[in-house]
Amino acid sequence: MSTGNPKIDLLQGTLDMLILRTLLFGPAHGHAIAHAIERGSEDVLQVEHGSLYPALHRLVKQRYIAAKDGLSENNRKAKYYSLTALGRKHLTAENSKWDRLAQAIARIMRPAGEEGRS
Amino acid sequence: MKFRRRKQESLDDEIRDYLDRETQFNMEAGMSPEEAHYAAQRKLGSTSLVKENTRAAWGWTSIERFWQDLVYGFRMLLKNPGFTLVAVISLAIGIGANSAMFSLADGLVLRPLPVPHPNEVVTAGYNTSVGGFGGINASYRDYLDFRNASKSFDGLFASSTYTFGFSKGPDSPAQLKMGMLVTGNFFRVLHVDPELGRDFTEDEDKVPGRDAVVILGHDLWNKDFASDPAILGKKIRLSGIEFTIIGVAPERFTGLDNYVRPSLFIPVAMWPRFMSDPKINPLEARDYRQLNLKGRLKPGISVEQAQAEFTGIAKALERAYPETNRNRVVEVRTELQRRIERSPPDAQITAMLLILALAVLLVACANVAGLLLSRAPVRAREMALRLAIGAGRPRLIRQLLTESLLIALTGGLLGLAIGYAGVGFLNHLSPPTDLPVQLSVQLDERALIFSLTVSLLSAIFFGLAPAMQTTRTDVISALRTAGAETPHRRRLFGRNALVAGQVALSLVLLMVSTFIYRGFQQTLGAGPGFRTDHLLMLSFDPTLLRYNETQTQQFYRQIAERASTVPGVKSATLASGVPMDGSNLGSVTILPEGFQIPKGQQNPSIFSSTVDEHYFDTMDLQVVHGRGFRASDTSTSPRVAVVNEQLAKHYWPDRDAIGKRFRLNSPDGPWVEIVGVTKTTKYLWIAESPMDFVYLPFAQHPQTQMTLLAQSSGDAANLALPLRQMIREIDVNQPVFDVRTFDDFYQFRAVGQPNVVIRTVGMMGLMGLVLALVGLYGLVSYAATRRSREIGIRMAIGAARGTVLRMVLRQGVVLTLIGIAIGLAASFCAKRLLNTIFASDDVDFVTYLLVAPALLAVTALAVYIPARRASRIDAMRVLRYE
Repeated sequence: MSTGNPKIDLLQGTLDMLILRTLLFGPAHGHAIAHAIERGSEDVLQVEHGSLYPALHRLVKQRYIAAKDGLSENNRKAKYYSLTALGRKHLTAENSKWDRLAQAIARIMRPAGEEGRS
Repeated sequence: MKFRRRKQESLDDEIRDYLDRETQFNMEAGMSPEEAHYAAQRKLGSTSLVKENTRAAWGWTSIERFWQDLVYGFRMLLKNPGFTLVAVISLAIGIGANSAMFSLADGLVLRPLPVPHPNEVVTAGYNTSVGGFGGINASYRDYLDFRNASKSFDGLFASSTYTFGFSKGPDSPAQLKMGMLVTGNFFRVLHVDPELGRDFTEDEDKVPGRDAVVILGHDLWNKDFASDPAILGKKIRLSGIEFTIIGVAPERFTGLDNYVRPSLFIPVAMWPRFMSDPKINPLEARDYRQLNLKGRLKPGISVEQAQAEFTGIAKALERAYPETNRNRVVEVRTELQRRIERSPPDAQITAMLLILALAVLLVACANVAGLLLSRAPVRAREMALRLAIGAGRPRLIRQLLTESLLIALTGGLLGLAIGYAGVGFLNHLSPPTDLPVQLSVQLDERALIFSLTVSLLSAIFFGLAPAMQTTRTDVISALRTAGAETPHRRRLFGRNALVAGQVALSLVLLMVSTFIYRGFQQTLGAGPGFRTDHLLMLSFDPTLLRYNETQTQQFYRQIAERASTVPGVKSATLASGVPMDGSNLGSVTILPEGFQIPKGQQNPSIFSSTVDEHYFDTMDLQVVHGRGFRASDTSTSPRVAVVNEQLAKHYWPDRDAIGKRFRLNSPDGPWVEIVGVTKTTKYLWIAESPMDFVYLPFAQHPQTQMTLLAQSSGDAANLALPLRQMIREIDVNQPVFDVRTFDDFYQFRAVGQPNVVIRTVGMMGLMGLVLALVGLYGLVSYAATRRSREIGIRMAIGAARGTVLRMVLRQGVVLTLIGIAIGLAASFCAKRLLNTIFASDDVDFVTYLLVAPALLAVTALAVYIPARRASRIDAMRVLRYE
């Protein structure tokens, strides 16, 4: 877990988006989602694994994702989460919102031209 | 909450799954198993916190919230066992009284016909009321004409209840069974399919006397044939005629009458073969109106439309057959209307008992509402706290209503137990007879649904206002000063009104039960007007053995002659019916000479009895003018009658009725001369209003069903054996039924049945009183506790005990007096209503003088005890505590 980079705590609501984004590539169980997010951000984003589960259950309740019992690669029972049509739509909307927000922040924080996206 | 538990287990699995995978992951990264495990645990954070947060994300469904409320409410109730106990028992009494009374009302009046879509089935026919007891009947000819002319019905059928001598074969003894003569479409119109075998065909009621087929009632099939599935095609004998069994009626079809469960059904076309009098052909005689007509209204046709159509048809019949159908009123009635009209006293008593039960429930509800209201300040702090941490007021009201619901349902459950006991008691109302006549008062699913509804309604009734009150809390002040806030005026008014109302209601309950009790006592004290002791009764119906008319009269002549020679018999008489037994009373219409019945009205029917010349002596029935019957009144001598004083006064108000004449039964009926006037006695039941009555001599009006009344010198029961022996000597096969002492019968009809009513009413009065006392006691002690600080201060600055006592007393006594005043006014109205039922114009001052002061005394005690306790307060302690 120890990397040279300083770690950034997640903003409220951002975790939801990251989960949806992760599930875009296919159904996954909780552990896989947590590691996917960490890996995706090259361990910059610190996902508090414990906070993943309330978020997952909240998203299920909002019907953005669906939970299903399934078998994992080594034949173990696990709960798989997958994106619903509603979740996909929500993700698109959130994406553009995020883009606009990120651009706006970037414009303020840095002079024009230096703008870059991670 | 299985659902929630499963969800919880699933979450546990999920977390465990995560830990396993993370441990695995760590081990693959090179950690030792133990290290890997702890690292995984660290990564996740506190397991219980994760679970807690996840659960929070689930939120609550309304069912889960209701469950929470239920559990919470349950805990609150357990925490206050005293309150809960009083509330639950109060409601149990109220609901139990209602369950029992509903069961009675259901058995007597309300229960619908046991057929599909019962409300479509109505009764139609000519009004044949006698003495205020409604009847709607028609002859078979009337029936055919109505059926052919009417377009309002999806089938109109005719039926009649009939008594048969039933036996399985020519050699087995005959049993008495009630059956029904029905037209071929009977079951089809009622939408009842035989459980076994087939229905009648349309053809089977066409040819008189041809089709001797029978459909058995389920009970008979079950009891006498052990539910034999191979019963079809077997033969039985009904009053000596052989019938072939073609079907069995289904179990749920219990007949069309709430007293009689028919054992069997036969085509009406077989009727003539059961008549002992060959002169009457029931299928042809237009004025032989013994059939009950019922039909299923076509969709969209109202009772009024059917009535209009029938009135039109009756007009046409009146023109076509003036001698039999003139001046006849035709009626179409729903089943409920018919039952109410058939026996108004039953309906009135039922309504009265239901209202009383409702009053008991109201008092109980007021009690619980009062208790809840008085707990409002106690709970104010709890409510304020919950409001402060963000619970909405609707949520709190829902919580409190859930508690009320819990109380009501527990009370309802306990109430059902009370109702069950009550129903057992009410079943004593069933008449003792050999016939399968039984009123079925039972706690069935209808009663259960009724009780549940009553519980729910009462929960809202007693719970809503206190819930609104309790949650109307000023958060800040409630949190600051626990339990010492001064109640609002409005709140006080509500509670005071409750108490005054309770006192008023319980006074009415007590007054009404005392009225009824004293009313019955007076009537019983006055006696029925004839002998009830030293009499044995035995009933016969020789037509059950298919005696013809000559044989029947021969049989009765022999009985009359030999009965008085049996040792121990002082005198004996034959009568068509015994007094107080409505089922055997006959009826006639009379047209007094010179007395004009207003046009368009029917001649009034009058109850009658056919008796022999020894009747008035044997029964000790006083003939006040003229004479009783004599042996010289024979079938060939001039026709005579004895009437009662009521009838004589009715038609000849200021003249002597002796020697007056009337035409019997029709405008061209025979002239009958009145030779005697008897005292007006009781004929149907002990509390009836005086009614017209006619006695006709047996010799001139032969009957088939007669009862022998033998007066004994010793114990009447001892006559049973020698008299039965005597009957056997005349005809060994003759069935004798309803053998009992007249005293037993009278005790049941005149004393037993009213006693059930009196005790029921008395119980309810007592329940109301106890409930009101508990309420009053609770209120005053509560009010005194609330004022303990004020009382303490008053006493500290020198108020005497007596002053304090008076102060607390005043509040309770004023409320009681207001309640009693209202109650007295209401009782006065109730008495006037009762007078119409019991046909009295008595004001009954004694009851007012007896009950009102007694109630005042008892309530004063209920007020005094807590008031005295309040005045004994140790001023210093109270103030220090505050």
